[in-house]
Amino acid sequence: MKDTATKVSPILSVRGLSKTFAGKPVVRNLSFDLHPGQVMALVGENGAGKSTTKNMICGLLEPTDGEIQLDGETFARVDPSAHGIAAVHQELSLFQTLTVAENMSIHHLPGSPVRVDWAAADRIAREQLDFLGMGIDPQVEVATLGAGKQQIVEIGKALLQANRVLILDEPTTSLTAIEREKLFAILDRLKERGLAIIFISHFMEEIYRVCDSYVVLRDGEQVGAGKLAEASRKSLEAMMVGRSIGEARLELTDPQERLALRVEGLCSADFHNVNFTVAAGEILGIAGLMGAGRTELAEAIFGLRPATGKVVVGEEEIRAPSVAAMKRRGACYVPEDRRLNGLFLNRPVRENLSAAAIGRFVTRKLRSIGFRGEVKSAAKIVDDMNIAVPHIENAVGDLSGGNQQKVLLGRWLATRPRLIVFDEPTKGVDIGAKFDIHNTISELARDGVGVVMVSSDLPELLNTAHRIVVMRKGRLVGQFHRDEFDAARIISLAASAGKPADV
Amino acid sequence: MYDDIFRSLTRQKWLPIALATIVLGATLSTVSPAFLTFSNLESILVQSSVTAIMAIGMAFVIMSGGIDISVGAILFFTSALFAQLMMDTGSYPLAFAAALACSTGLGLLNGILVVRFGISPLITTLATYSIYRGAAIHLTGAQNIPVPREMGFLGNGEIWGIPVPILLLGLIFVIGIYALTQTRLGVYVRAIGNSDRSARESGLPIARVTIAVYAIGGVLAGISALILLARVGGLQSGIGIGIEFTVIAAVILGGTKLTGGTGTVTGSVIGAVFLVLIDNGLNLMNASPYIYDIVRGGVLLVAVAVDRISALRRERQLRLQKTARLRETHGLA
Repeated sequence: MKDTATKVSPILSVRGLSKTFAGKPVVRNLSFDLHPGQVMALVGENGAGKSTTKNMICGLLEPTDGEIQLDGETFARVDPSAHGIAAVHQELSLFQTLTVAENMSIHHLPGSPVRVDWAAADRIAREQLDFLGMGIDPQVEVATLGAGKQQIVEIGKALLQANRVLILDEPTTSLTAIEREKLFAILDRLKERGLAIIFISHFMEEIYRVCDSYVVLRDGEQVGAGKLAEASRKSLEAMMVGRSIGEARLELTDPQERLALRVEGLCSADFHNVNFTVAAGEILGIAGLMGAGRTELAEAIFGLRPATGKVVVGEEEIRAPSVAAMKRRGACYVPEDRRLNGLFLNRPVRENLSAAAIGRFVTRKLRSIGFRGEVKSAAKIVDDMNIAVPHIENAVGDLSGGNQQKVLLGRWLATRPRLIVFDEPTKGVDIGAKFDIHNTISELARDGVGVVMVSSDLPELLNTAHRIVVMRKGRLVGQFHRDEFDAARIISLAASAGKPADV
Repeated sequence: MYDDIFRSLTRQKWLPIALATIVLGATLSTVSPAFLTFSNLESILVQSSVTAIMAIGMAFVIMSGGIDISVGAILFFTSALFAQLMMDTGSYPLAFAAALACSTGLGLLNGILVVRFGISPLITTLATYSIYRGAAIHLTGAQNIPVPREMGFLGNGEIWGIPVPILLLGLIFVIGIYALTQTRLGVYVRAIGNSDRSARESGLPIARVTIAVYAIGGVLAGISALILLARVGGLQSGIGIGIEFTVIAAVILGGTKLTGGTGTVTGSVIGAVFLVLIDNGLNLMNASPYIYDIVRGGVLLVAVAVDRISALRRERQLRLQKTARLRETHGLA
């Protein structure tokens, strides 16, 4: 089967495909062939360039360089509906308030603009859903369907358009084991139909179950490609991770005996029975794939999401967690999206730095209304953290991403916390700022602060953490101490589909 | 078969407001025997027609994820233009054409501003509300202008024994339902209101649809202006003040979500009737005129509170489902 596939001419050929955002190359010189009936795995770590590649192939982005050939014809930019290519994105694009039939044919509503042929739309949806072997009523609102069925509807919708290439981006993250098997059976049938499929996934078992060939991306570059039958799982993982692991390592001091945070039996809709501790002066990394429930866990600890279980800060159990209650106990949370959740972009650096600790600066005497020491404190933080800003009165919005992140970090440091939880502390930050932030974090630990760091950047965790716990699909599935860090094992654990080991 | 009808009936989003209207009507008929007379019911429908027609337009705007505060001002501007033109030229064709074109144009302008500058529709139409109203007063020199007596036909006349405003409402009602359920525009309106991101990813004509819904809101405000003008006999400076509140309240009471994406034309019309019924009831009870606004506001608050509670319950259910899935994924009991 695989051998005959290579003899026919490729349905999709990509040559030297590159994409640059604001001068920064995100995908470089990508080349591969895809044949009818072939399933190709596109693998790589978070941020390796998979999404950008997907978006170029399905026409959402225009390549900066290189060409895309479909059945031998070259196109600068793909027109998905005309070229028979469709992608199912990780984040579903269904309209929740519309019916299944309406959703599936929204691209090409049958009938005329002033009279939609609903009978035809219903028939088309029914045929497609029958082919997919799912008993879904085309007339129900999508919002009433579970995540698994919604995924199938999305695939059905894409198939109405895709007669050549179908791209699936992490299609199984929201599926149960049974639904996943159903999906794989569907993919087998699509292969028989001669459709070419690009399958983006972190889960190695799935890749070996469905795919024929692979392309590995790392930092935007194609570091490997070939037949899956000839590549071991270990070698794939090694390609994804690369050699950069275990290069620079921060000097860390030993954590103290005293605990900064203890989480016991924490459960919610996004994770189940999570237990861990962080000692004062310890940096705990939480590794895992996107959608594993890490951010949700961090938010639940701070009461931003409903959860049950025990959260103990220092010696004290927090009965009703909230950001304010946690702050009173010296614990703070630095969220991932700093623009959305953290900074006041149009306010000066000074105010942003003092916002969380403003109580300290308010003078109680009527005579001297104002904030005493605020300027001094801000200037000191700017100096300590090496924030590149012309003046502390400049608006934060004018700073670079890295400096913005430092301001956010500096703000929480101004509260002199005993526990800090970071979510993706260096996302979208340049390498110099990253270095500064890592140093600041290690200094915090040296001063006895407990640190929890959620990060999708594995080298970052390997570099800065005392200990790493791995989260997969809502559960903690493994733990590594600094002397036993192993990038390949961590990735493999985060992405395996097997039963979780005991922590 | 009765089962099917029952099931499809319970799925209708306008069912709650319809039941509430029936209950209110029943209550009123026990309080006052004058209520359940044919002429009173007819008069209630006639009184509802202006807000009901505007509510149909507003339903489209709100379903698309927008809001239009300026409909009362469009109504006032159109009334002023019509009355002024009638006084100056005496030509019905000219005045009607100008009124309809102008109201559509003002709606279009709202839509273009919302799309072009991406400002929140609330602020955009709040601004145009002030501009349109001010312009109308400027145009007429703030005077009251009577319209010719024949105009009364549009407000009080009858065709086949049915009052003209009710006929117009019926016609627009049917067109509205058709447009929402049978045309591409209707699907797009709900799709865009549900998720801007998905609409973008699906390549839907967001700008055109957005402009279209505001234009629909505009032209329906224009038609309402003509009916209202005919009913009150001429332009008065108070015309249309506060009517946007009644119209939006009617739409929300009717089961359309302010968040967009879902709603009904039928519910919006019933909502408008419901609000008139409340006025009617208060009137029958000889309530102080100052009570009216309090009651209207209270009813709206109760309606959104009930809706919010059911939404919260749904959210909790979804969370429970998700927890169950998580357990299933890990094979937990």
